[in-house]
Amino acid sequence: MTKHLKTIGVLAVAGVVAAGIASVSAHHSATMFDHSTTMTINGEVVELRWVNPHVSLSIDGIVKERAEAGRAVWVMEMTSPGNLVRAGGWRRDAVKPGETVQVEFSPLRDSERKGGALKKLTVVATGEVFTANIREQERPGLE
Amino acid sequence: MRSRLLATMFVVLASAATADAQNAPKKPPAIINPPPTAQDYADLAKLPDWSGVWNPKITDQDQQARTNPPAWNEKVAKEVEKMWAEEKAGRPKLIFYGCFPEAHPSWMLVTHNAMEILFTPGRVTMLGESDGNRLRRIYTDGRPHPDTSDPTFHGHSIGHWEGDTLVVDTVDILPQAPLAISEAVGVPNDGDMRVTERIYLAEKDILHVELEITAPKILTKPWKTTRIFFRQRARKFDIVEGVCQLGDYREAKDENGHHVFVPVEKTEWGNLVAPK
Repeated sequence: MTKHLKTIGVLAVAGVVAAGIASVSAHHSATMFDHSTTMTINGEVVELRWVNPHVSLSIDGIVKERAEAGRAVWVMEMTSPGNLVRAGGWRRDAVKPGETVQVEFSPLRDSERKGGALKKLTVVATGEVFTANIREQERPGLE
Repeated sequence: MRSRLLATMFVVLASAATADAQNAPKKPPAIINPPPTAQDYADLAKLPDWSGVWNPKITDQDQQARTNPPAWNEKVAKEVEKMWAEEKAGRPKLIFYGCFPEAHPSWMLVTHNAMEILFTPGRVTMLGESDGNRLRRIYTDGRPHPDTSDPTFHGHSIGHWEGDTLVVDTVDILPQAPLAISEAVGVPNDGDMRVTERIYLAEKDILHVELEITAPKILTKPWKTTRIFFRQRARKFDIVEGVCQLGDYREAKDENGHHVFVPVEKTEWGNLVAPK
């Protein structure tokens, strides 16, 4: 757990240092991600940021398709909390720091950056699955 | 000597003006928000049931962006074509920058988030879940638009009921408010935009919003389009607070140990800067 707190601290400091360099908002299109490609990361949750307009999840793990790069922190973006609740069964406490997860995602087109758009998360210990497709809310019978 | 005479004349004139003002009959202020009566509240029960959480049909938005585009003028059409190309190439223009509201009519056109609709005497209120303080006040008490323009993100809306259809007319929208057809394709309306809407239940749990958008600075003719919202009847979900700026900040502690927010780094397209 200490390791995860340290990682969160590093992310927080990076954010503060970066302030003023480029801080533009926030509600955006998602075509910076390559939606034709799916990658998988296995690792531990660092932090779930349950905020509008895009929830984010940091994972310390190994991406199967880039195993040679070793273990690293990847940042995943999703839709809003309200949409995740309705479309993917999410909760604010769906995952906790330190939990082992497997995440399928569409990577950033900028392959130098470790980021992606989360498509599906599986909590390894429980098998619980969460998805993040906002158009799923339109399926018939969703009450 | 001359200056003393002028000063005396000024005092006399000023005194006369004050006396006139005191003697003039006072014009009562216009009452624009009279207290509702019990009958006003009873009349709300005659309106159609629009309660619950309404979600936009995003697949229809996707389709309409391609099949029913606005009649952009020649200059704007070129800009829009470039935006489509940039979005497709993974460089989506951040048209909703600064977490400003998507504004009217764009939040009816391209939102991905839910809304709720409240009826109170003389007013219909639309509250959006996200995207930065989405809120529309539609006055149904018979008032006209104001004589003096005071532009806002959502403009000045007046409405009336034709049967179970709410007919809305909106003016005084900020010129910076974009007319958007996707999250990354849209241009500022540049002023003089007018939006009329017919809002009604097409089915029990399907709300249609027929829009006619006149934007003479960017369109060659009014644009007619319809947006669809669907309702989840089991009431498992409530609208939640959605503060857009939270995505630009993260939680931290200040030098005194208090909980505060500090900015995070974002890309020019609005997503988080991921680690290298």
